[in-house]
Amino acid sequence: MAVYRRGYQRYQGPLTGYWARFLVAPRFAWERLFQQRQVVILLVGAMIWPLFCAVFIYLANHSELWAGLGGGFKNFLEVNGKFFLVFMNAQAVFAVLLAALAGPGLIASDLANNALPLYFSRPMSRPDYVLARLLVLIGMLSLVTWIPGAALFFMQVGMAGRGWFSENWRLGVGVVAGFLIWVLIVSLVALACSAYVRWRVVAGGLVLGFFFVLGGVAKMVNTVFRVEWGSVLSPTAAMYQIWCDMLDVETPLGLNTAECIGTLVVLGVLLVVVLERKLRPVEVIS
Amino acid sequence: MTATISFRARQACTIARVELRRAFFSKRSFWVYLLALFPAVVFIGHGIEAKIDRQRWSAKGFTPAALLDGIKQGETSEAVRGRLGTPVSDEKWDHRRRVLREGSGKDSEPRVWEEKREQRRRLTYFDGRRRADLWFENGVLRSKSIRPLLNLEEDRQVFAGLFQYFYLRLAIFFGCLGIFMNLFRGDMLDKTLHFWFLAPIRREVLLLGKYAAGLVAAVVIFTGGALLCFAAMLWPHDPGEVQVYWQASGLSHAFWYAAAAALGCVGYGSVFLAAGLLLRNPIVPAATLLLWEAINGFLPATLQKVSVLYYLQSLCPIPAPMDNSAPAFIRMLLSPAEPASHFWSVAGLLALTALVLVVAARASRRIEISYSTE
Repeated sequence: MAVYRRGYQRYQGPLTGYWARFLVAPRFAWERLFQQRQVVILLVGAMIWPLFCAVFIYLANHSELWAGLGGGFKNFLEVNGKFFLVFMNAQAVFAVLLAALAGPGLIASDLANNALPLYFSRPMSRPDYVLARLLVLIGMLSLVTWIPGAALFFMQVGMAGRGWFSENWRLGVGVVAGFLIWVLIVSLVALACSAYVRWRVVAGGLVLGFFFVLGGVAKMVNTVFRVEWGSVLSPTAAMYQIWCDMLDVETPLGLNTAECIGTLVVLGVLLVVVLERKLRPVEVIS
Repeated sequence: MTATISFRARQACTIARVELRRAFFSKRSFWVYLLALFPAVVFIGHGIEAKIDRQRWSAKGFTPAALLDGIKQGETSEAVRGRLGTPVSDEKWDHRRRVLREGSGKDSEPRVWEEKREQRRRLTYFDGRRRADLWFENGVLRSKSIRPLLNLEEDRQVFAGLFQYFYLRLAIFFGCLGIFMNLFRGDMLDKTLHFWFLAPIRREVLLLGKYAAGLVAAVVIFTGGALLCFAAMLWPHDPGEVQVYWQASGLSHAFWYAAAAALGCVGYGSVFLAAGLLLRNPIVPAATLLLWEAINGFLPATLQKVSVLYYLQSLCPIPAPMDNSAPAFIRMLLSPAEPASHFWSVAGLLALTALVLVVAARASRRIEISYSTE
C-alpha cells in the first residue's frame, strides 16, 4: 500500500480490562510521589499525632497506671467524641499540607506540557482521568486520615471491650465517614487549583491559601457583622460542624449541619465545574 | 567607588521600574488586591447594614430603654412580648441535637443517645441607640445581649483583632508569598529569567531591584488596604465621637497600623524572596512559616521572638482580643510574650530582613537556570 494511503485507523485489537487501564495513572503517580523526600517526611510527621493518641488510649484503658492521680485525671483520660474530634482536627491540617505538596503536580504538569491529548487519545475519558487523579490523592491522604482514625477506634474497642463498642459504634462510623468527606473536598480543591493555575508552585500556595484564608474571611465576617452565618464561607468550619454532629459532640453555635452539608456540596460542584472547564482534550493555541 | 555605588543604585532603580509594572498590573497579582481590600469592603458593608437597620427599626418605633434593662433571665417570650410590645425582628427555628442519656448505673441499662428537639426564638428590640437581642429556648429566655447599634470602642477592638489575625497572619503573608515568589520564580516559569542574567548587571543588583519593586507594590497595596479598612471602620460612627478619638489617639493608631503593615511586607517579603531563590518548591518553607506563626502564641517567650509576627504585633497599638469561642484548655496554653519596644521591633525586623537579603544575594550568585525542571 502506498505510504500516503496509510491514514489514521483506530486500533481494533484487544484492550486490557477497564480497571487495569484506570489504575495505570494512580500506580505511576503514587510511585513518583513516594520518591519525593518532602512527601515522605510529611507522611512520617503526620504519624506522630496518631502515635500520641494511641498512647492516650492505652493510658485511658489502664487505670492501674494512674490510680493515684485523682478523679480529675480520669475525666481527662476519656476516649469519647471530643477525643476523636481533636484527633481529626490535627490530622485534617496534615491532610491539607500533604495535598498542597502532592496535589498540584498531578494535573498542572500535564497541562503545562500539553500532555492531555496523549491521555485522551487512549481509551480513557475525562471523568476517568479526573477520577484517577482523585484516587491518587485520596489514597495518599487516607494514610494520614481515616486509616489511623479507624486503627485508633479499633484499638479502643479491643481494649475497652464489646460494651464500649455497642455504645460508641457511631464514633467509628463518624471518624471514617467524616475523614472521607474531608479527603474528598481537599483532593478536589488540590486538583482544581492545579488545573486552574497550571503551575505547580503557585497551585500549592493556592491550596494552602484556600483553606487558611477562607477560614480567616469567615471569622472576619462573623466578627465584624456579629453574626454566625459567615461560617458558610469556610469549608473548614462547615466540616467541623459536620464532624461535631457525627461524633455527638456539642456543636458550636452558628450554622446547622444541613447548611454545612449544603455548603460543602456547593463547593464540590464548583470545583468539579472548574475541572470540567479546564480539562479539555484539545487546545486551541492562539 | 562612590560612582560605582551610584551606578549600581541606578541599575537597581531601572530594574525596579521595569518590575514594578508587572508587580502592580500582572494578571497573576489581582487576587492580592482582593486580599488587601476585602476587610475594607466588609467594614463598609457593616456600616451600610447599621445605617439601614437604624432607619428600618426607627420606622417601627422605639422601646423605652428602661424596659430593655428590666428584662430578666428565665422570662417567657410571651411575657416579654406582652411587656415590651412588638419587636423589630422576630425569628423562630427548630434545633435538634443528640444527647447522651445516662442509665441507672446498672449494667443492664446502658447509656443511650437520644434526639432532643428545641424550639429557639430570637426577638430584637431597639431603643433608638441600643439593640437588645433575646434568645429563647423552648419559650424561656436563655441569653440576652444589649449593646449599642454602633460602638466605636467595640469596633476598634474588632479592627485590632482583624488586623492581627487576618491582615498580618493571612493577607500580608499570602500576598507577600504571591508577590515576592513571583519575582524570580515567575521569570523561571515564564522562561525569561535568562534575559535578566544576560544583562551586564551583578546578580545582587538584580535581586535588590526586584526586591524594591516587590516591596513598593506590597507596601502600597497592603498599607493602603489597612488604612482604607481603618477609615471604613470609623465611617459609620458619630462624627463627634470620631473627632474626639482622632484627636486623642486615632492618628497614632493609624500610623502604627500602617507601619506594622509596611514592616510586615518588608519582613515576609525578604523571607519569601529568599525562599523563591533557594528552593524549587517554596511551598514547604511557606507552610512551615505559616505553622510557626500560627503556634507562636503557645511557644515559650524566647522562641516567640524568633518570628516576624512577634515584632509586628508589638507595633500594633491595641493588643488583639482573645477568641472567646476557643476552648479553655487552648486559652490556658496561650502565653503571649511581653511585647518588644517600638524601637526594637523596627530594628529587629530590619536586621532580620538585612540578614535574609544577604543570604539571598549569595544564593543568587549561584543560580543556574534549568527551565526543563520547572
